Amino acid sequence: MTKRLLFSAAAALIVIAYPLVFSSPFQQRLGALVLLYAIAASAWNIVGGYAGQVSVGHVVFFGCGAYAAMAVYQHFGLPPIAGVPLGIAVSVLIAAVIGVPTLRLSGHYFSMATIAVAELARLITTNVEFLGAAVGLSGPTVPRTVLDLSFTSALPYYYLFLAVLAGTLALTWRMERGRMGYYLRAIKDSERAARSLGAASGRYKLYAFMLSAALTSLAGALYAMMFGFIDPESGLGILISVKMLIMAALGGAGLLFGPLVGAAILVPLEEVSNNLLGGRGAGLTFVLYGAIITLIARFQPGGLLDLVRRRLPRRSVGSGHAA
Amino acid sequence: MLLEAQNITKAFGSFTAVASASVTVEEGEILGLIGPNGAGKSTFFNCLTGDLPPTSGTVRLMGEDVTRASPEERARLGLARTFQLPQTFERMTVLENVMVGAFLRTPDAFEARERARAIVERVGMRAIAEAPARNLGTPGRKRLEIARALATEPKVLLLDEAMAGLNPAELHRAIELVREIHRSGVTLVIVEHIMEVIHSLARRVIVFHQGREIARGTPDEVTRHSAVIEAYLGKRGARAAKARPA
Repeated sequence: MTKRLLFSAAAALIVIAYPLVFSSPFQQRLGALVLLYAIAASAWNIVGGYAGQVSVGHVVFFGCGAYAAMAVYQHFGLPPIAGVPLGIAVSVLIAAVIGVPTLRLSGHYFSMATIAVAELARLITTNVEFLGAAVGLSGPTVPRTVLDLSFTSALPYYYLFLAVLAGTLALTWRMERGRMGYYLRAIKDSERAARSLGAASGRYKLYAFMLSAALTSLAGALYAMMFGFIDPESGLGILISVKMLIMAALGGAGLLFGPLVGAAILVPLEEVSNNLLGGRGAGLTFVLYGAIITLIARFQPGGLLDLVRRRLPRRSVGSGHAA
Repeated sequence: MLLEAQNITKAFGSFTAVASASVTVEEGEILGLIGPNGAGKSTFFNCLTGDLPPTSGTVRLMGEDVTRASPEERARLGLARTFQLPQTFERMTVLENVMVGAFLRTPDAFEARERARAIVERVGMRAIAEAPARNLGTPGRKRLEIARALATEPKVLLLDEAMAGLNPAELHRAIELVREIHRSGVTLVIVEHIMEVIHSLARRVIVFHQGREIARGTPDEVTRHSAVIEAYLGKRGARAAKARPA
């Protein structure tokens, strides 16, 4: 127990001290990006990992958050952060509209429906003038107040994202230890048995999807604030959905820290490959992701953290006060 | 009347798996459902639990019409079941499997853990409570099915071949467990192939054959019933059985 506490404290210290030790703009920006993607992937993990419902259209929620943040600035002159509740509300609504009919069905209907909705959202946005159409929307170029959350340095973003990630993980942790966490894991293993024991599977999967959508929307808003700009490709491109999925799967889907581990590996890898290959790297990124998906599926379906966990002496999830 | 099914028919396309089957289960009894393979027992069973919607007929649970109710709603009303092929939650421990059942009556994880612990103790799995459920063999999985169902605090428990694949010693232990559950006030419906189990547990038996009820009565009565013998052994087998001196 003390060993775990020490380990946790050390990990927390590293994460907090990172941008102060690695203080070049590139390193700080990289750190902030890792945390940002960790938030999005952790949000995806709630429905994709814990509930086992693989969404390939999560970018639609990311886009909602990003566009809401930029739209309230562009059209009403409000600080982007004021768009967060709006983005969350729209995301949760979309999640309900996709989830109610498709989460009842088994198989890949849910995944297909999410892709369809995300691509539809991208096409519609590209043609809606209010949302900037193909050009996109921008945030405040010069911060008017600190509320605009527009900084030149990546350092404030790093700590902002760290706080949001901590909140997201705390929420996920509480969910995992409670009834919902048990029900989701049961549904993932045998939906039929879970239902026979009274777990309303449709309702719990929907809750997971809506919670996941809300947090993904928040990640999208943070992204837009940091970059101060959003367009159909950066806010609604299918690659963003794929990134969330791969990061969670690489680290360990359905494990609390899985997405963070995945993001900490993939984001630097992508930055390096982009720097080496320049503008021509976009196509290669897909190749890289394809290779990673294949490797995970073939050799380590549980993700990297699962590998670590298996090597450690067994400790059951949720047995905090047991042994 | 705790559980009542009236004129349940279930057709898959042109094939009628269950034809107009009716059953009433009285509070406190143990009812056996038997019949050869493919007799429609399991289909009928799944209509009772809500896993399959019947083509026609009604199911009532404590007077309430639950024909279209989901399995989870029926669980809330006090109906629990086990699966013929154990549906173990592989990535959980034994205790956690039981907790999933306990969560039906309490939203609190600590309380659910305590209740699950009591159930695990009761079914004699305390020593392996923290073991991963995927390590269990068939007898353990079958027992876990029962433990999980018990954790939902059912009024009526439906056991679908809960004893298939057990050796004689395990069978004996399983029968003792079912007796203990019955004594605690749970009504039981058991689908079973093993006549020994039916004989030692059920007072009343309904025999299915080709989707229809062909006999009902005490275990002794139905095993002497000519239609039942014919269903199990075929016409020639039945004649041979009759010719043999008792």
